[in-house]
Amino acid sequence: MDKTESDLDLPQVRTQNLDLYYGADRVLRSLNFDIPRGCVAAFIGPSGCGKSSYLRCLNRMNDFISGARVEGRVLIDGEDIYASGVDVIALRRRVGMVFQKPNPFPMSIYENVAYGPRLFGVKDRETLDETVRSSLEGAALWNEVKDKLNTPGTGLSGGQQQRLCIARAIATEPEVLLMDEPTSALDPLSTSRIEELIRDLKSRFTVAIVTHNMQQAARISDYTAFFLLGELVEYGTTSQIFTVPVDKRTEDYITGRFG
Amino acid sequence: MGLRMGKSETTSHHFGGWGDKAAARTAFSVSTICILIMGFILYFLVKESLPVLKATTLSELLFGMDWYPQETPPALGMFPLIASSLAVTFLSSAIGLPVSIVIAVFTAEIAPRRLRSLVKPLLELLGFLPSIVFGFLGMVVVAPWLQARFNLLTGLNMANASALLGMMMVPIVGSLADEALCAVPRELRDASYALGATRWETIRRVVLPSALPGVLSASLLGVMRATGETMVMLMAAGGAAVIPQSLFDPVRPLTSTIAAEMGETPVGSEHYHALFFAGLILLLITLAINLLSAKIEAKGLKTKGGNL
Ligand SMILES: Nc1ncnc2c1ncn2[C@@H]1O[C@H](COP(=O)(O)OP(=O)(O)O)[C@@H](O)[C@H]1O
Ligand SMILES: [Mg+2]
Repeated sequence: MDKTESDLDLPQVRTQNLDLYYGADRVLRSLNFDIPRGCVAAFIGPSGCGKSSYLRCLNRMNDFISGARVEGRVLIDGEDIYASGVDVIALRRRVGMVFQKPNPFPMSIYENVAYGPRLFGVKDRETLDETVRSSLEGAALWNEVKDKLNTPGTGLSGGQQQRLCIARAIATEPEVLLMDEPTSALDPLSTSRIEELIRDLKSRFTVAIVTHNMQQAARISDYTAFFLLGELVEYGTTSQIFTVPVDKRTEDYITGRFG
Repeated sequence: MGLRMGKSETTSHHFGGWGDKAAARTAFSVSTICILIMGFILYFLVKESLPVLKATTLSELLFGMDWYPQETPPALGMFPLIASSLAVTFLSSAIGLPVSIVIAVFTAEIAPRRLRSLVKPLLELLGFLPSIVFGFLGMVVVAPWLQARFNLLTGLNMANASALLGMMMVPIVGSLADEALCAVPRELRDASYALGATRWETIRRVVLPSALPGVLSASLLGVMRATGETMVMLMAAGGAAVIPQSLFDPVRPLTSTIAAEMGETPVGSEHYHALFFAGLILLLITLAINLLSAKIEAKGLKTKGGNL
């Protein structure tokens, strides 16, 4: 932890004493850690340990779950996103999300990407064209779809669909990008394309990614957090976590996975 | 049919391939029977309606303005009947479909779960009301009100019948559209919310467009119901075989014409055959709506294709 702390000069996402309850279940337990700007932070841990739930705290998607309740604070760029009077819509624009299963809207590729900007009132065709192009380029999809922008997004392959979802998420120019196991439904080739993409994305966004795949975390992330039963067991630079984990449970999890 | 197949499928878990085979066989025989019945009806209608062409011409039948089937020689112009049917169908859809869709959006998207579980069964119950109840409602409640309110000669007219038919559509179209909306995957809504959409924006821009094929075929089912409805037309539409000039003119659609006159005409007369011809026209109209709905459904599957 110490080593990480010294690296942070202005953390983008600060999580302070965060508790999450679903009804009476305490799903996240006093989480405390910071994600620095322009980094990829990976979240690993056995399923059901609260990784997705944590991610959904960062853009307040848990608001939709009845009975969900948050205690503690999450600061994004120094602003407490659970303070009263926070504009959740504006927050979700700043904190984009990519889901586990590719979920393009049943509309054209163009309209998928333009969805967010249109919501915020962009009507000018040229501006939209430019946003669509740059977002698709940012998601490394432009060359494959530039001649068929008006065909349904659902007609693309799984890996392309997921990159379309990434383009859609970055079209609103978020500062933070949340990704919940974005490659778990994809083939190895699509997976490696998206991993490559994530490494590029961090120059523009802070990325928080949940992954089931330890090697993936090691390949793409700068920081790694290991969750167990709603607790943050260990958080540090990825190289430290994977080479000299401090906590015995981290070591067991990492080594156990690879024999 | 759906139920029976569902049962067979569950048994297949216990008995290996048997259930599947039984299901396939059941589906095959049921659809064969359906097609046979359909073919038989069509054959019968055509056979009984064709002789009318000996008495008059096809264009006179379809576009003739005068329907005096009891005179000698009978005037068998059905245009007023066809126009009445189409006008009532159109007007009742204009009333019933928007209401149905608003109700579906409410139950599927806005109402809290408790309220939904209260409203939906009520809606479905309304769908089981025999149409004669609506007919009574038209005669006893709507007609006198219309007559007094708009100072009309009669309250039994196109507006009355259309309002009732619109009401009758709501349970079917509403609950089918509700199901279409509910079938829109959670993930699409999540994606929309995560992009900063409000609930209303999500409904309008993602949920409704995604559910459109289902909502459209639900609507067409409602339209068909309106075209084919007889009892309400008989009781509340007024029954004048003229082309309606205003909302408050009495009308005489194909259905009520057949129902009212079939019993009073000698079998084998020109009038008798003309009524069968009216039935044939009705069948063709509903068939056309059916084909349209199948086409829309196929198109919906195609655009969703990649995701399923
Ligand atoms: N909508 C929900 N309502 C109630 N409990 C939930 C809900 N979603 C997840 N949980 C519970 O919260 C815990 C953490 O789940 P999750 O965050 O999905 O874990 P992970 O993503 O690490 O697999 C699990 O015990 C799960 O059962
Ligand atoms: Mg998860």
